[in-house]
Amino acid sequence: MANVDSREAHVEIDSVRLGFGERDVFEDLSCRFARARITVLMGGSGTGKSTVLRMIAGLQRPDSGRVVVAGEDVAALSERGLQRVRRRLGMLFQDGALLDSMTVLENVGLPLREHTKLGEAEIRDAVHERLAAVGLHDVDELLPGELSGGMLRRVALARAIIMDPEIVLCDEPFSGLDPPNVERIEALFRELCHDRGLTLIVTSHHMASSLRMSDQIVLLQHGRAVLGDPGELATSGDADITDFLGADGAALARQIAREGHR
Amino acid sequence: MTDTPIHRLGRFGSSWIVGLGRIANFAGGIVLAIVRPPWRVQRVVRAVYDAGVLSVALICGAGFAVGMVLGLQGYTTLVRFGAQESLGAVVGLVLIRELGPVVTGLLVIGRAGSATTAEIGAMVSTQQLDGLRMMSIDPMHFVVMPKALALAFVMPLLSSLFIVFGVFGGYVVGVELVGLDGGSYMASLENAVGFRDDVLQSLVKSAVFGALLGVIATYRGFTSPGNAMGVSRSTTSAVVTTSVWLLLADYVITAFWGV
Repeated sequence: MANVDSREAHVEIDSVRLGFGERDVFEDLSCRFARARITVLMGGSGTGKSTVLRMIAGLQRPDSGRVVVAGEDVAALSERGLQRVRRRLGMLFQDGALLDSMTVLENVGLPLREHTKLGEAEIRDAVHERLAAVGLHDVDELLPGELSGGMLRRVALARAIIMDPEIVLCDEPFSGLDPPNVERIEALFRELCHDRGLTLIVTSHHMASSLRMSDQIVLLQHGRAVLGDPGELATSGDADITDFLGADGAALARQIAREGHR
Repeated sequence: MTDTPIHRLGRFGSSWIVGLGRIANFAGGIVLAIVRPPWRVQRVVRAVYDAGVLSVALICGAGFAVGMVLGLQGYTTLVRFGAQESLGAVVGLVLIRELGPVVTGLLVIGRAGSATTAEIGAMVSTQQLDGLRMMSIDPMHFVVMPKALALAFVMPLLSSLFIVFGVFGGYVVGVELVGLDGGSYMASLENAVGFRDDVLQSLVKSAVFGALLGVIATYRGFTSPGNAMGVSRSTTSAVVTTSVWLLLADYVITAFWGV
């Protein structure tokens, strides 16, 4: 299937091979993620969605191949080089990865404290602004252990975007969220992407929201990536893709293709 | 290729040497992190509180109990030779030269060392260290260095506290229970203890034990596999490995000190 977006690639994975022990996760994976677009990585469990995000973040090196992020091959960079590239990235981990000895305010403000000369009042304002964007108020002094799963993930998302990164990687951002908060995060993603020009790469099992908000879908199957927009995937005729989408998913994808994304 | 005992021995030997090299490299990373800004004073103070202040009650209680036992054992032995007036010297020297640094070391390994490994291991398994990397914050600088430095820093202080309470425990038994003269107890202690051979040796030993614990406890946590079983194994390994290295280092320092 052809790449749906001819824009400049902000992230490009080229002929990547990666195995864990005897098992090959990717034999020859290639795909590209366009600048200022929302790309949703979909696929069954164990197809390597989170691993793709970890490779882009430089947390997992491939056995061979290139992972080019904003013009730099992160697979070949030293830890110091990776630190430079990561300043342009924000990442939401599946379990939040918040520091459990720090409060919400300290967690979200940590990148600002480390990399800027902002005063405490400015940091507090910036933290409150990001927390409000993800629908959270009055949680400054709570520890991660005192938050629900959905709140934890939203705090982690606030931390991921606090430095205004160019690229945001989100691992299952909708997991554990109620419908109003799923819509709130979808709207935030659209704003980040279409108003502020951020590139979003999101893994999700949440079929409806993935189809609704994505500009491009990358479907991982059998160590390969199939790219397309929701309508293309629904009408591809590929049995594996049809199986993965299911009848409801395919119908929704066709409807979205007919009516436009948003 | 056949897998003979010689092959297995060779594999074990080479993996042991590689492991040693990795720990040495890790220790070098900690030293670099100590001298590289930003200075993480607040995090070091917090780690000193966790490893040191929270261990004070344990160290004082253990020191007092060990001192009392030494007082009793020392008295029953010395009285056979009519040398019971030397009880202060015996209790003091045994505590300062050996039991102070070694028992404190083993207690701190069990309390603060295991907690350090488990905490860093849990941070690995919950991706907190990866989270720091994604914020361009070096986990070695932010997490490992303060904890390792704190362990190395608190060990001589806790050992000194252990010795003081041990001497006091020996005093309680020797003077208050057995009826020795308090002045003789303290005078024999004062006359027997030298600064270079006793006090300095004690401080050097506890500083070395602290540095060993700091490096091994943080290394085991940092390299822990990201699951519950891995964290548990790393914690056990940190306690066992550091205890063995502590006892070996104790012998080496004692031998080289020329006692």
